[in-house]
Amino acid sequence: MTSASAPVTPASAAAVDVRGVWKRYGDTDVVIDLSFDVHPGEVLGFLGPNGSGKTTTMRMILDIIRPAKGDISVFDGPPGVEHQDRIGYLPEDRGLYRDVKIIDTLTYFGALRGLSQSAGRARARQLLDEMGLGDAAEKKAAELSRGMHQKAQLIATILNDPDLLIIDEPFQGLDPVNAELLKGVVRDQRDAGAAVIMSTHDMGDAQTLCDRILLIDEGKRLLYGTVDRVREAFSDGAVQVSGKGIPTDADTLDSVTDVHEVDGAVRYLIRDGATPQDLFRELASNGTHVEQFAVQAPSLDEIFIRTVAGDPRAEAVR
Amino acid sequence: MSDTQRAGSSKPRLTLLVAKRDYLRTVRRRGYIFGTLLLPLGIAGLMAISTLFSVDGIGDDGEASGTIVIVNSSDVPITDISSDVINLTTLSEEAAGARLASGIITEYYLIPEDVRETGAVTRIEPDAGLSISRLESQENKEQLLRYLMRDALLREAGVAPEDAERILQGLTVTAITTEGEEVSGLDIAAGIAVPMVFVAIFMISIFITSGYLLQSVTEEKENRVVEIVLSSIPPMPLMAGKIIGLGGAGLTQVGIWVLTALIAIPLLSSQVADLGSIELDPTVLALALIYFVLGYLAYGAIFAAIGAMAPGNREAQQYSGFLGFFAAIPFIVFSVFLTDIESIAVIALSLFPLTAPTSMLLVLGLSEEVPWTLVGASLVSLSLFAVLAAWASARIFRATVLLYGVRPSLGQLIDAVRPTR
Repeated sequence: MTSASAPVTPASAAAVDVRGVWKRYGDTDVVIDLSFDVHPGEVLGFLGPNGSGKTTTMRMILDIIRPAKGDISVFDGPPGVEHQDRIGYLPEDRGLYRDVKIIDTLTYFGALRGLSQSAGRARARQLLDEMGLGDAAEKKAAELSRGMHQKAQLIATILNDPDLLIIDEPFQGLDPVNAELLKGVVRDQRDAGAAVIMSTHDMGDAQTLCDRILLIDEGKRLLYGTVDRVREAFSDGAVQVSGKGIPTDADTLDSVTDVHEVDGAVRYLIRDGATPQDLFRELASNGTHVEQFAVQAPSLDEIFIRTVAGDPRAEAVR
Repeated sequence: MSDTQRAGSSKPRLTLLVAKRDYLRTVRRRGYIFGTLLLPLGIAGLMAISTLFSVDGIGDDGEASGTIVIVNSSDVPITDISSDVINLTTLSEEAAGARLASGIITEYYLIPEDVRETGAVTRIEPDAGLSISRLESQENKEQLLRYLMRDALLREAGVAPEDAERILQGLTVTAITTEGEEVSGLDIAAGIAVPMVFVAIFMISIFITSGYLLQSVTEEKENRVVEIVLSSIPPMPLMAGKIIGLGGAGLTQVGIWVLTALIAIPLLSSQVADLGSIELDPTVLALALIYFVLGYLAYGAIFAAIGAMAPGNREAQQYSGFLGFFAAIPFIVFSVFLTDIESIAVIALSLFPLTAPTSMLLVLGLSEEVPWTLVGASLVSLSLFAVLAAWASARIFRATVLLYGVRPSLGQLIDAVRPTR
């Protein structure tokens, strides 16, 4: 499996640049010397267990809270109100004014994001129509279903066509339809040139949506890089093959060191200096009928577990 | 998005945006409209009742209600009277009964033979429902009948008319100050009651307005909207916007009440004795407005911080409830204000920020002249506290408003307001 898009070349000026940031609550350091950047046209997956400091970092980028140390740059300037009209934010704890009409809430949120009253209202109506919520515009949030709520919150996030989209656990609590809708929105925003920071627990989502990932735990950076590079760093050089007459003796193949049968397939460990292509050529020359030939790279789930457990291979992509 | 569609993201614009939104949202609430109109409607109701009770001339049937018909079976010489205001007619029982049956009169009075011994008189009236105005009309007639009965007995006893008049009228005591000014008991009562009522209304309004602020913060917190809002506008301008918008809603309410009072007092004075003597001194009114604004800022800032700290609206209401105690202290020790307005206790209460608005409004209402030194000192104290409270509140707001369902520890609060943070 590969990441969802071509690798990003972070040559453009970073939309967000975080350098050596610390944050302390009471006696606890919740973010420790954290550095990373996000560029226009890329999705940065912000990964980590609960309480690892993801939300705190996002709030610092948004200037909701201030770091104790370090520098944060947003669009080449300090975080602050002057960037708010270029930012869309979907917090983890999100809602709508229950007894206010959806169109009024969205217009207000649009105005807070720098849109004029008329432009905000028109844009909200357009997005409500596009997402099939046109009839709900004049309804109060309390009258809407959970799914409609989620769509309205999503609309609030992208009302201002943001250049920086920050979404905190966006798929949490979403039904499958709205989850797909949101994934589409994330891709569209990224393709339109927005920088996206997305925190998630779901490694599957990170693997399919993100160009780069940043894994933190207890406030410290553990992994940082493109999805392919991170997976490559953790790859143990295994290849899984299925078909007819697949050899199960390592001695018969020059390019492998170890062989295991796994669920009806055979898993080879590639010898140092050899490549999966060498193995494929050997199998072909032996007249083996290969039905499936897959280079094994660990999933982000596995990488996450191994990294948190202290796998030394993480050092290469820290 | 094109530039023409953008309105900008400056802090003043965002502050005004929040102020406008919170103002409009509040003044459109049913509770606000009801609360605002309660006083005007109450006064209108008072005027209506007052008018109802002051009916004195026209009865239900169009008959001059001042006309009293008696059937005098006694030997007390009650003479008939015929004037523009009062008519007393003596008829036979048959004639009176006929008039009552035909609806010309609404009742007549039977004065029995033994009235000298018993003092008992019977009112004869049809079996019909009574109105308040008719009851009042009857009460007036019966008072007059008593007067005429006494008058007749005094004259019969040979008391000189002027002496009889004095006996019937009693004595009138007029108090005059050493400076020669007349002292009215009602003036004194009004001088105490009016400031109390006004101060109570002002304090209630400060608390209602601060309550709007509390409600606005807890609502955004409970609806999980506050983080979206905070990601667009920093805590200080957000707080400022809320304070301006909701303070504006409170001022609108107070403005309507004061306007109502200014209009109603002259109107009511024609019906409520001595109300016309109440004067609203423009200086006191202006100072009251300043104390309202500063009192609201002081209490509102604390309420906003409580709203940010409390896990929900119910808890926030409980926490904020104790603040009412501070505002009520001057009322609890009101006797001190009456006995010695320059006492240490009054000065202390006027300088302590949380009791200053109530105390100073009472002082202004009860003092002969504006005590400018005390006013200045209390305004400085209250202003400093209001600024400090707003600053600390914004920091506490920033530090605690995103703690959903969690009460911040004392350490967190101290950490939030520490200047070095």
